Amino acid sequence: MNRWASVAVALLCAVLALALAWAMWDLPPAPVALPAQVAGSLAISGVEHPVTAVLLNFRGYDTLLEVGVLLIALLGMLAAGATPERMTALPPDPVLEGLARLLAPLMVLVAGYLLWAGAFRPGGAFQAAAVLAAAGVLLRLAGPVTAWTRPGRVLRLALAAGFVVFLAVAVLGLAQGAMLEYPRAWAGSLILAVEAGLTVSLGLTLAGLFLAGPEIPRGGPRT
Amino acid sequence: MAIESVAPLPWLVLLPLAWATLSFLLGPSRGAGIAIVGLLLQAGLVLLLAWQLTTMGTQHHAVGGWGAPLGIDLVADGLSVVMLLMTAAVALPVAIYARAWFVAKPAGAAWFWPLSGFLVAALNGLFLSADLFNIYVTLELLGLAAVGLTAATGERRAVAAAMRYLLATLLGSGAYLMGVALVYGTYGSVSLAVLGGLVESLPVVMLAAGLMVAGMLLKTALFPLHFWLPPAHGGAATPVSALLSALVIKASFYLALRLWFGVFEPLAAVSAAQVLGALGAAAVFWGSVQALLQARLKMLVAYSTVAQVGYLFLVFPLATGTPAEAAAGAWQGGVLQAVAHALAKAAMFAAAGAMILGAGSDRIDRLGGVGARLPLALFAFGLAGIVLMGLPPTGGFATKWLLLMAALETGQWWWAAVLVGGGLLAAAYVFRVLLAAFAPVPEQGRVTGVARSLEWTAFALATAGVLLGLFAAHVVTLLDVGA
Repeated sequence: MNRWASVAVALLCAVLALALAWAMWDLPPAPVALPAQVAGSLAISGVEHPVTAVLLNFRGYDTLLEVGVLLIALLGMLAAGATPERMTALPPDPVLEGLARLLAPLMVLVAGYLLWAGAFRPGGAFQAAAVLAAAGVLLRLAGPVTAWTRPGRVLRLALAAGFVVFLAVAVLGLAQGAMLEYPRAWAGSLILAVEAGLTVSLGLTLAGLFLAGPEIPRGGPRT
Repeated sequence: MAIESVAPLPWLVLLPLAWATLSFLLGPSRGAGIAIVGLLLQAGLVLLLAWQLTTMGTQHHAVGGWGAPLGIDLVADGLSVVMLLMTAAVALPVAIYARAWFVAKPAGAAWFWPLSGFLVAALNGLFLSADLFNIYVTLELLGLAAVGLTAATGERRAVAAAMRYLLATLLGSGAYLMGVALVYGTYGSVSLAVLGGLVESLPVVMLAAGLMVAGMLLKTALFPLHFWLPPAHGGAATPVSALLSALVIKASFYLALRLWFGVFEPLAAVSAAQVLGALGAAAVFWGSVQALLQARLKMLVAYSTVAQVGYLFLVFPLATGTPAEAAAGAWQGGVLQAVAHALAKAAMFAAAGAMILGAGSDRIDRLGGVGARLPLALFAFGLAGIVLMGLPPTGGFATKWLLLMAALETGQWWWAAVLVGGGLLAAAYVFRVLLAAFAPVPEQGRVTGVARSLEWTAFALATAGVLLGLFAAHVVTLLDVGA
């Protein structure tokens, strides 16, 4: 991009920023108060934390599709032919590897806690999965875990499990009258089941974005 | 179970998600069969929904049983159902085509089925959603599936085009999301039904509407924001090109239409509508001229999409601030153009793919002999071209007729000039391909045969584009439900 184009883009961004600031300066109070409605229905949502109630129950449909987004982000990378062979291996480092082996089980423990805590305080599947994924990245960088291109049958099942459980719950809801409608008595357990599945699958998916995805090689392709 | 009690709305999203996941579990390059079965069921569901709509009116489904604004509502009105019919009518033949295509040319086959399943689910979800934030999620699902499919051949050119497409589509949905945040900040809800009674002309809402519409213009590739489209649509595997050009850009156009003439109607300004129309007119001429200049067949078809997108945006000046009857005609013409182009462009890409496969080259000057060896594919290409030109009795003619009438009724003759001029330019680039394909064969037997289903599906899609003209009145009746 030449210099004038950069200047034009910068100007456009500055104008947009000013317009946003100006527009939001004097925002009237919102006529619809959703937080009050969330609080009002929290008791029948199956969980005690409003964020989890919104993510897994009131707007669970958004979350179902978001999980799909993460899965196809990984699929897109696999489809584009990311090839880990091209990744440069790090020199072995016994201290780093030892530390990673020590930390990984602790991270799994933390992930488990976050998953369980999501029902009543900040936490839940996405946070737990992020910790699991970080453990995967750490193990890859330190050496013990190798990169993968084409996930095998077991890995595919683990990657999709969370989405499959969620989809099954969505279908079961139809028997209640609507997609993703939890039976009142079972709402808490079903949400926990969905979150447990999502923790494993999202953890693997997020880790996969790193494990399966080296950069497109610079220069010519190596043969 | 009585047929009345089947709820097609949730199943239209769940079904493609299910077959997409199943094909992922089956493994690389697997899942063509379940995809085709899934799409057949989907076609049945959409027809059932269309029937429910004509007998019972607009259909609703409150996901989770909560109802807006706490939960998310799915709503199917006439416009949604026409878009769903278009999706089903294109996706099924393209799936049959893709199955044969990837046998002949395996590049890009590995994850085609799961990605296209998510793509179809995202389209259906978007057309059914009555919630601004949920629409954003479907846009992301659609955009990422489309980018993944574009990059899937692994060719350097396709991967580079996919990266550019990714940045454009993320910028577009980012602008949309910013608008959603502003709307939520102002009104405290993202439900279209709730917002419908609240939206008024505040600066913050104007800014939100501007951002959301601008994001959709980028995603629909309206001139001069079309820069990402030709390399992505021209460089992807052919079944993917067909899906992208026929369906994916229609999703963002649908959303622009839905917002402009829906919740943001109190803000819609005639001057802004004229600007959109002018960009549309520029797109028609620029895209057509570029199509004429291309050396490669799929790039010609991709630039033809840039031109055809232009017609879609003539709806805005013709239906904003104009008398109700003319506005209704323009609106119907615009939606019909989306459908006619979807069928014709899918047919054109499918036919082009078959011809390229037969000729062994995608250069237009190497198409000699295709007319003799692959007459059905070439015929399909020509039929699709006739739809794009807008000759009677095709769907393209019904479209242009409605838009032309609206232009004359509202005294905006300059848009009529665009419609006529664009048709002539389309004729020019279509005939360029036909002439090349009928050229005498340079070497005997250079053009090889291709799988019959590649030619038949292209022909079926083109025929559907022609027949749309004869059934335009039915589509218009359906469109009026809930409008």
